[in-house]
Amino acid sequence: MSVYPKQYAGVNIVEEQRAKWEKKRIRTAKELIETERRYFEQLELVSVNAAKALTVSRRFLGNLEHGEFGLGFENLSSHLHFYKIYADNMENAFKVLQGHGVLEMPSGTGKTISLLSLIVAYQKAYPLDVTKLIYCSRTVPEIEKVVEELKKLMEFYEKMTGEKQNFLALALSSRKNLCVHPEVSSLRFGKDVDGKCHSMTASYIRSRKQQNPGVQLCRFYEEFEALGRQVPLTAGIFNLDDLKAFGRQKGWCPYFLARYSILHANIVIYSYHYLLDPKIADLVSKELAKKIKETDAAKLREEYSQLVQGLKEANVARETDVYLSNPVLPDEILQEAVPGSIRTAEHFVGFLKRLLEYLKSRLRIQHVVQESPPQFLKDIYEKVCIDRKPLRFCSERLRSLLRTLEIADIADFSAVTLISNFATLVSTYSKGFTIIIEPFEDKTPTIANPVLHFSCMDSSIAIKPVFERFQSVVITSGTLSPLDIYPKILDFHPVTMASFTMTLARTCLCPLIVGRGNDQVAISSKFETREDIAVIRNYGNLLSEMSAIVPDGIVAFFTSYQYMENIVASWYEQGILENIQRNKLIFIETQDAAETSMALEKYQEACENGRGAILLSVARGKVSEGIDFVHHFGRAVIMFGVPYVYTQSRILKARLEYLRDQFQIRENDFLTFDAMRHAAQCVGRVIRGKTDYGLMIFADKRYSRSDKRGKLPRWIQEHISDGSLNLTIDETVQLSKHFLREMAQPFRKEDQLGLSLLTLEQLQSEEMLKKITQIAHQV
Amino acid sequence: MDEEPERAKRWEGEFERTWELLVEDESGSLKPSVEDILFKAKRKRVIESQGQIRLGMMRHMYIVLDASRTMEDQDLKPNRLTSTLKLLEFFVEEYFDQNPISQLGIIATKNKRAEKLTDLAGNPKKHIEALKRAVDTTCSGEPSLYNSLSLAMQNLKHMPGHTSREVLVIFSSLTTCDPANIYDLIKTLKSTKIRVSIIGLSAEVRVCTVLARETGGTYHVILDESHFKELLMYHVKPPPASSSSECSLIRMGFPQHTLVSISDQDSKPSFSMAHLDSTVGPGLTLGGYYCPQCKAKYSELPVECKVCGLTLVSAPHLARSFHHLFPLDAFKEIPLEEHQGERFCEGCQGDLKEQNVYICPSCESVFCMECDLFIHDTLHCCPSCVHSQP
Repeated sequence: MSVYPKQYAGVNIVEEQRAKWEKKRIRTAKELIETERRYFEQLELVSVNAAKALTVSRRFLGNLEHGEFGLGFENLSSHLHFYKIYADNMENAFKVLQGHGVLEMPSGTGKTISLLSLIVAYQKAYPLDVTKLIYCSRTVPEIEKVVEELKKLMEFYEKMTGEKQNFLALALSSRKNLCVHPEVSSLRFGKDVDGKCHSMTASYIRSRKQQNPGVQLCRFYEEFEALGRQVPLTAGIFNLDDLKAFGRQKGWCPYFLARYSILHANIVIYSYHYLLDPKIADLVSKELAKKIKETDAAKLREEYSQLVQGLKEANVARETDVYLSNPVLPDEILQEAVPGSIRTAEHFVGFLKRLLEYLKSRLRIQHVVQESPPQFLKDIYEKVCIDRKPLRFCSERLRSLLRTLEIADIADFSAVTLISNFATLVSTYSKGFTIIIEPFEDKTPTIANPVLHFSCMDSSIAIKPVFERFQSVVITSGTLSPLDIYPKILDFHPVTMASFTMTLARTCLCPLIVGRGNDQVAISSKFETREDIAVIRNYGNLLSEMSAIVPDGIVAFFTSYQYMENIVASWYEQGILENIQRNKLIFIETQDAAETSMALEKYQEACENGRGAILLSVARGKVSEGIDFVHHFGRAVIMFGVPYVYTQSRILKARLEYLRDQFQIRENDFLTFDAMRHAAQCVGRVIRGKTDYGLMIFADKRYSRSDKRGKLPRWIQEHISDGSLNLTIDETVQLSKHFLREMAQPFRKEDQLGLSLLTLEQLQSEEMLKKITQIAHQV
Repeated sequence: MDEEPERAKRWEGEFERTWELLVEDESGSLKPSVEDILFKAKRKRVIESQGQIRLGMMRHMYIVLDASRTMEDQDLKPNRLTSTLKLLEFFVEEYFDQNPISQLGIIATKNKRAEKLTDLAGNPKKHIEALKRAVDTTCSGEPSLYNSLSLAMQNLKHMPGHTSREVLVIFSSLTTCDPANIYDLIKTLKSTKIRVSIIGLSAEVRVCTVLARETGGTYHVILDESHFKELLMYHVKPPPASSSSECSLIRMGFPQHTLVSISDQDSKPSFSMAHLDSTVGPGLTLGGYYCPQCKAKYSELPVECKVCGLTLVSAPHLARSFHHLFPLDAFKEIPLEEHQGERFCEGCQGDLKEQNVYICPSCESVFCMECDLFIHDTLHCCPSCVHSQP
């Protein structure tokens, strides 16, 4: 008798449970729709706000032809004295406003300020034509610098016009840099901050709060939700700290405030990772839980950014806000419905498992495999019956699943996300990508450490959406030479390509090419002579001689970590290191980021207090790409050898092949191009402006050849005379001594006037304008 | 094995490019360019003198001499040390000639230490002797800016407020070995109003730039030996007296030199007070300068009386320092073609042949370059102005 009620109750429970599930499903569905709707609203807002396409009016160009600059220029020039380069740049930037452009300029000559002032002036003169400028830079300090420049410009405007400018500009960065929440901001890694923030601000958590008051929410976000949206950010220039201070003062979350404010800001400054990869925040970790390393979307962009490292992109006029949309995935994926085979959660999980097993089986190999995405897709279809279509939706489906499950901490699922992203990308692109599976690393051929590389051969894929979305894209950097290769690689047609040199009142850079030791043995990092004891000794002698005559800091670059280790070890044996240490302290860059930043800090301290120091680092390393050695931090830079890439790498080989097939770029050309660009990048670290000076020593015989030399940026090339080619160490020392003494003489602003600085009258004279157009080296 | 064999021969020395200094003119001759170089060098010093600025009259200066390993470098001939010492001897003479009531001391630094060669004193002979002795010192180790500056500071900070406190560093090395943070020391130097100027022998070192900028001194790097001399001479002229420095009345004694002949019965040889603490120097002498306050005897002036602390000077000394208070304005330079009027120099009565002539702004007299230099460097007053004034 007692069985029945129980059973009955059991049925009840099941039904109750079902009802609950049903309710939950409805709720999440509603939520999904809600978020989707909000997303579209925002998108619309952006396009309404910003989609005023830019057309450079005839009138404006007419003005230019008559030598009349736009409003704002006159004001600026009457006060500041123009840089000559600055004037050149302005003129070219005008042309660029009609399309895309590539400009090469030495650092510290006013790239940023000239572009900014041009666009601001243009915005002021024709407020309807250009509505928005996006300025992308790489690192947070660089972003801060740009904001600083902009502040100066605005101050100047205010001084000249005497009224407050109605202008909003702000810097945008990740949550980690903007968070003011006391607990969250103390976390060390960006990933943790993102996760924690997400767990306190996600919509479902906030709605849960209504039922359960114990849920912790971010009060800054709440405050912002409640009040911040009604009142737009007041006009002004905000850098990250300003935003934070403003957020603290008002009690609003600066991150969301900034995100919201970009809708109506005139200028937005942020890292180009955002522009190229909106997923970057999610994809911090490349490590998979199962020790499978995969290189995909994130890596691909990284590759790209390696290619264009140092580039700053200024983008004028936009159609949609890229930050909110996804540039990689074509629209049809976003619009198409998720296919039936993975629509339910169980099926999807099963699908993922199958995919994972397949990947695992692929990794269990003994030899290197290289294949194209279609091959891979065919194989996966044959082996585990996974079709192309569901693969394409993998990433979207996973995201919606995670959302539905109300998982707050996405960071735990980074591995699965990575796989799903890989699946989506591999099925979306059939061209320009390659899959390489290596069972072991080259250095350790016995230890199995399978790695699956999914690498992008074609950097134009990543940049394409950017070119499509924006009216004008300007790429500027100190090291872009040779210019013609970029449009080829990135697949676009610039209206302007120009390389500027520095007009200098004194020659503040001294490139020297050292080809021989004092014993007349040719020095080179060529593979055949790399282990030669005479070469190593001569390199050592060069460094020790230079350490005796160069004040403060010297930066020395090697071609690879391995080469550096070998050389330093043999210097130690030969006692050269001891000699060097008598003059200066030695710091070494290692692969460990924390260690390197420590070394860097100590290096700067040693330069600062007069002890003097040498930093041994590696081309393509962290030091060579993001860190400037201004003034005394780098009085000389020595480039030991030509920094060719590791040519045995399979990814590189595949890439070279692709370039040859698709763009008709010869392997050798590309390798030299790449090596010289890195060399220029390295030596360019020391000259950061006109008042700065530094020696640039290229210690390799091969630099003397014109095919190598000709690929250096023009501003370096023009200072290489015949007298500075193929020198011996002795001659180098003598020339350097002379140069350093000359540079140490007092240098005043008046000396530059008329040469590298122009007054307003000089600028407006016909003659000077003619000269300026001659200087800009049109490619 | 560590020590390199000494490079004795000229051809073993370093590679030089002496020809690069010379430029040919259109006709292919070198002479104009050489003359141009000489001319420019002569002119430079005069131009740099500023207008009417009150300069300090009483100076206390320490010279810090770098005697580290780098001083053996042979880019100055025969080597940096010898060349520097020779120039310093000249400097010391010139210094006391122009600033007779000032004092000087020398500190040498090597092997991370600093030692005093001479104390602050107003007697050029002692310093020159010390400099001559220093030629034989071996240069080794690294210099220590910190140690030498703190040594100088200890001595200088007790000097009265109306005098200038200066340190001139001759810095050859590119590194310094300091026991503590030098930036703290720079702050202290600044607060004690010690002015540190530096002459670098090799290249611009950051810490020196900061040091000079913070303490209000100058920092120059030499190009060659003649430039070195020029830079040294720049320090002969007193620095502008800062407005914050105290103005005070100082008591000074003007002792008469009394000559006593041996034949005089009353005469007794006596010691000069100046030689009390030094073992060397002359012993008993007959005549000398007697302090008007306490009658202590000194054989040389200027000096601070060891007994009563009175500053003893002679009238010509004061007069020679006096011109620093009223420096002569630089003369106007115009090309010879533009000059109308008499074609001879007011000073030497010679014909005006050079490309430029110089005109005194107040009396409009014309001078040749040689006379211009002589007037500004030595006379310190325009002869025709003096002549026209009753």
